[in-house]
Amino acid sequence: MKFRVSIALQYVLMVVVAVVMFFPILWIILSSFKPMIEFSVFPPRILPSRLYWYNYAEVFAQSKLLIYLRNTLILIAGNTIGTLLSSSIVAYPLARMRFRGREFIFALILMTMMVPSYVTIIPQYILFKQLGWLDTFLPIIVPAFFAYPYNVFLFRQFYRTIPKELDEAARIDGCSEWGVFVRIIAPLSRPIFITIGILSSIFWWNEFFVPMVFINSEDLKPLSVGIYSFSRTTFVVRWDLIMAMATVMLFPPMMLFLLARRYITEGIKTTGFK
Amino acid sequence: MRSGRAYLFVSPWILGFVLFTGGPILATVALGFTKWDLIGSPVWVGLGNYARLFRKGSEFWTVLRFTAFYTLFSVVFSVGWALFEAALLNSRGVRGTNLFGFFYFIPAVVPMVALTFAFQLILHKELGILNYALSLLGLREGPNWLVDPKVVVWVVVVLNIYTFYAGQMMLIFDSALKEVPKELYEAAEIDGASRIVQFLRITLPAISPILFFNMVTATISSLGTSFTLLYPLTAGGPGKVTQAISLDIYHNAFKTFRVGYACAESVILFLIAAGVSVVMFATSKRWVYYEV
Repeated sequence: MKFRVSIALQYVLMVVVAVVMFFPILWIILSSFKPMIEFSVFPPRILPSRLYWYNYAEVFAQSKLLIYLRNTLILIAGNTIGTLLSSSIVAYPLARMRFRGREFIFALILMTMMVPSYVTIIPQYILFKQLGWLDTFLPIIVPAFFAYPYNVFLFRQFYRTIPKELDEAARIDGCSEWGVFVRIIAPLSRPIFITIGILSSIFWWNEFFVPMVFINSEDLKPLSVGIYSFSRTTFVVRWDLIMAMATVMLFPPMMLFLLARRYITEGIKTTGFK
Repeated sequence: MRSGRAYLFVSPWILGFVLFTGGPILATVALGFTKWDLIGSPVWVGLGNYARLFRKGSEFWTVLRFTAFYTLFSVVFSVGWALFEAALLNSRGVRGTNLFGFFYFIPAVVPMVALTFAFQLILHKELGILNYALSLLGLREGPNWLVDPKVVVWVVVVLNIYTFYAGQMMLIFDSALKEVPKELYEAAEIDGASRIVQFLRITLPAISPILFFNMVTATISSLGTSFTLLYPLTAGGPGKVTQAISLDIYHNAFKTFRVGYACAESVILFLIAAGVSVVMFATSKRWVYYEV
């Protein structure tokens, strides 16, 4: 009997936690179908009186949602291609070659992961201003081609799991280091390329601070900054339209998580061990 | 020879480090000694910015105090919550953990800025669903969650359970809990130890290295992501009660163009983050699992 009670209690707690975690997302989706008038009724309605699709038509018409979306996709493509190329290369010798200063470089890479971006943003801003890059995508995309520490770390952890015999055999056969990387290590590392590709896409779909600093023009803002600036441009806060826009923002990462959950969770778990 | 080849591979990162991290840190330190509005040339003021930051009754004390409060309690709530979620997902005899795990992690992958709009609706004093729910439970006047200075500081730390890093910690705890040997619990069960005693005596000691790792991760992450949660939600308000150092740096550098002053603040933030990192590296031998 005692056993049954504790199992039941556990289920209750599990459901309560699930509701707490999912409720804000659910609330955005439900609210996106409410006409503006239903945001000021008391008591608040849980379900919209009817499915008011018109919010979606209106948010596409009244905001630059499509342009924001295009900009977000550009940032995702640039950053993901950049970091996959550069981080996979940088991580290779850290995992597979012996050289003087390896431990030092790796420690330095780990340490830079600890530096909050707020510390480096002002000199970066000055640098990009000198280059004439402010209010373009360049300050947000170009750094990705110089390897992000977090991704270097993930690549390194993955490379270490590949049997050493493979590249040693190739070296004996006269394969160069670059050849070992391109022909052996990279093809065997498909899963981590996919994981980092997905994590990077989600990250840049969500990233707010960096584009907030470097982008001013409405036509260059990504979704994250766009929804914020849209919420501040209307005379009254248009909750109906904001919620429709937010729903549009929620679905792609949720779908990606649904489809590629294994890649995401396994990738994240690697950071906790070793 | 091979060293040279290795450095060729690493060179993109080294260049990136010099341009976007190392160089900027040095520049921040240097600019911290100047007064500059981004237009003319920087004027050397020595320790003037630091004197202003730390003079008696300066606004920076408020910022620093809130940043310390925010960081400390974000860590407490997010780590505690992540562990609670992972423990629920690993409790014996329950099914459907895969489905529950989906809901526990999903807020981590969606944009925080979108969630902040949901929080504003849910937490609204008169029209929000939370106060309505509380009124059904008999609380006639619900708190003004985002406006009352005493309440809002707690609201923003609790909302850290929806961040990416909280989800990340939940997954790390989840796999750590799966590694705890089942026999230990079976033995404790036979001895008649309750679930809570088992958690305190078996689970916690077994995962203590991961617990510590997550606490450091959470500290760094909460320092590094405070802007994304706070700026769209409260913009540092009401007044300056939720003005974390990240918001203050942004405001001073890019809104009022007090660049030297903002750089001095950045140096303080860097020292805080560096301090945490030093603790992490100094003690890492004790808690990092080297499996390979």
